[in-house]
Amino acid sequence: MSSSLALYVSRRLLWTLPTLLLVGLLVFVLMRLVPGDPALLILGDAATPEQLESLRAQYGLDRPVAVQFVLWLAQVVQGDLGHSITSGQEVLPLLLERFQVSAAIVLAAVAAAVLLAVPAGLYAAWKQNSVVDTMVVAAATFFLSIPSFWLGLLLLLFIGLKLGLVPVVGYVPFAEDWRSAITFLILPTITLALIELGVLTRMARASAIETLRLEYVTHARAKGLSERTVLLRHVLPNAFAPTWTLVGLVLGNLLGGIAVLETVFTLPGLGRLLVDSIFARDYPVVQGCLLFTAFIYVLVNLVVDLCYPLFDPRVSAA
Amino acid sequence: MKTALISTFAVLAAACTAFSAAVAQPQAGTLRVRLNADIRSTDPGLNRDANTDAVMMHVVEGLVAYREDATVGPLLAQSVQTSPDGLTYTFKLRPDVRFHNGAPMTADDVVFTWNRYMKPSNNWRCLPEFDGRGVSKVVSVQAPDPSTVVYTLEKPAALFLATLARTDCGAAAVYHRSSLDGDKWKEPVGTGPFKLGEWRRGQFIELVRHDAYAALSGKRDGNTGGKKAEVAKARFVVIPDSSAAKAALLSGAIDLNPDINDEDMAEYKARKDVVLDSQPSMDMQGLLFQTRDPLLKDPRIRRAIALAIDMPELVATVTTGNAKPSRSVVPAPSSYYKTAQAALPKRDLAQAKKLLAEAGYKGQPIKMLATKRYESVYKIAVMAQAMAQEAGIQMDVEVLEWATLLDRYNKGDYQTMAFTYSSRLDPSLSFEMISGPKDKQPRKVWENPEALDLIAKSSVTADRAKRQALFDQLEALLRADVPAVFLYSAVNTSAARSYVTGYQGWPLGLPRLWGVAMRNP
Repeated sequence: MSSSLALYVSRRLLWTLPTLLLVGLLVFVLMRLVPGDPALLILGDAATPEQLESLRAQYGLDRPVAVQFVLWLAQVVQGDLGHSITSGQEVLPLLLERFQVSAAIVLAAVAAAVLLAVPAGLYAAWKQNSVVDTMVVAAATFFLSIPSFWLGLLLLLFIGLKLGLVPVVGYVPFAEDWRSAITFLILPTITLALIELGVLTRMARASAIETLRLEYVTHARAKGLSERTVLLRHVLPNAFAPTWTLVGLVLGNLLGGIAVLETVFTLPGLGRLLVDSIFARDYPVVQGCLLFTAFIYVLVNLVVDLCYPLFDPRVSAA
Repeated sequence: MKTALISTFAVLAAACTAFSAAVAQPQAGTLRVRLNADIRSTDPGLNRDANTDAVMMHVVEGLVAYREDATVGPLLAQSVQTSPDGLTYTFKLRPDVRFHNGAPMTADDVVFTWNRYMKPSNNWRCLPEFDGRGVSKVVSVQAPDPSTVVYTLEKPAALFLATLARTDCGAAAVYHRSSLDGDKWKEPVGTGPFKLGEWRRGQFIELVRHDAYAALSGKRDGNTGGKKAEVAKARFVVIPDSSAAKAALLSGAIDLNPDINDEDMAEYKARKDVVLDSQPSMDMQGLLFQTRDPLLKDPRIRRAIALAIDMPELVATVTTGNAKPSRSVVPAPSSYYKTAQAALPKRDLAQAKKLLAEAGYKGQPIKMLATKRYESVYKIAVMAQAMAQEAGIQMDVEVLEWATLLDRYNKGDYQTMAFTYSSRLDPSLSFEMISGPKDKQPRKVWENPEALDLIAKSSVTADRAKRQALFDQLEALLRADVPAVFLYSAVNTSAARSYVTGYQGWPLGLPRLWGVAMRNP
């Protein structure tokens, strides 16, 4: 790594600190503004005032919000995101455990979507206004418009229930049994890939159409290069850069959790943990989840930025 | 392009086929049961919720337990004797009971666990019920010999045994010292028909049959009676989404869903491979009124709303005909649910309009809070709104997320609210859940001093006939004051694959997997 690149990476990473602090402060304040009492949710409608007070004191929820924030921040600085109010588990290991599940699906789905979307977009752009182009655009728009939970349920009912090809609920970690793990991840991965396929195909097509109109492409054709060479060597690298930016945003967004899909397919991922924790007003877990998500988002986009020179030599990290 | 697509689908299909050998096949000896959320802990009564109670009642047991009819019977105790003054309870322990680690259960273990429950820093949910703030004050617990435990109370308490048996109190379960590492909870070493196998957070809790379990003779009876585990393993699978749970049951990925949606009943009934079982539970659904609200403090308006509601119609619609209407706060399965409780007032729009006119009601809007977390609560609100409209009452429904609704309930911050109360197994507790001074406990809906006296009496009266008379009086008072309109006791319907035998719900609502077997599918 060159020194300028190292400097760039360090600077970007340093910038994450104020971002994370701001995220932490916002989440902390917003969670306290939302009505709802974790102690009441734990104890239920039969809770007496004494029981509620006792439980609030146990979790430090009886202290002023500013004090709670400072104490939490002091913990975070030491790498301790606290303990879950509902389960008592340490938040950081819990997040890492759940993140593995989300990451496996998201990475596989986005990789599959990119592998299908880029050739499809390029081909559609090359055959612009043809029947194939119309079909590609229609399919992309269709997948883009479908809510993920609905598509997930349809696939679950058809492939899982009707055809019985894959299990409809549950999860097995890869470390335990990779074959079973794959069967549990097939449906959510397909669902997510199809949803993301829509947006990526449209972007790849639009970028390719724009690139195909540039003079250097005409020049390449005039030189007598084959269409295959024109497309793969001259159009694809330039057309791929905007799609790659979008991949970064999509990845950052999805790695923060795919709560709906994780709920439909009963996967113990980060998104489901976040949603469950919001409903349970499990403040330490919500705060930890969102901090973690913000960090992942920043990190993914940094990696995406660093990869630009690989596709477009005009871009340099420095 | 075409070739690539065909290849992709071919590879996917091949992958699915290759990996699908074990898909949705019933697992020999393992009963898989849906749980809609993970448990909180394995520490009974301390860090808990209803799901935690449901699972832990398979692993641990208390001295006494609830029977099918919500009365209390012995479980780890062979007999219970109460002194004539009602201050001393002597429990003779069953001699054949062993913990999961093989150690015999003794009176010393009972005292050990009791002391842990009563330590304030442990925050046992039911501590206030035994330290003098609630139904009783336990002055001492002694073990005069290895098979005898003596509880001494400060004052007589009719609800002492009933509170010991409460599942939300962890049934005051007795567990072995090895459940703890010093003061820290490890995992339960109990006496139940199952022992804890594996808990994979967010995924499942697997229980393994306790082969040395000393089952009581006789039939299964609530949480007591014959409790022999028939299956080698029971796995509670966490499936939050109800549609996914339905798909899981229909595909055979789980064997039993203990609580299905009423809307799905017709579809399940049409299938031969699924068996349904409906049982009334002790959960109560109803409408609460804020009696300190400037408008609703007038009982005539509250009565008018009650008269505007067509209960049979509302209940039939909300539960798709699965539950019966009931105006009483005492749940229908209770043994104290008699004539006074079963009486059902008829809808009377003319009388409702007359009362509204007398009260000077001029169409002011009344806000009703509801939630979609429990579909029935939302439906009740919508139906009640429409029915009240026919009497000229303007109600607006506001839907809140459950945590917010519960918060507003606890603060008494509402005009009206559709609400669901969790099970109270004794009528004294049912009346207590709604009654009390609002200044101290804003969540209470009824603050009639006469009622509070009667409730206090019912809590110390042991004679059954006298208690019934007190509850009948309370019922009449409640119906006159109308601080709330109770609509029905919820009905829990379970759906099981047809090869599952012996499963049955019961009024407490928690699933029981002992006595449940699986034929060869």
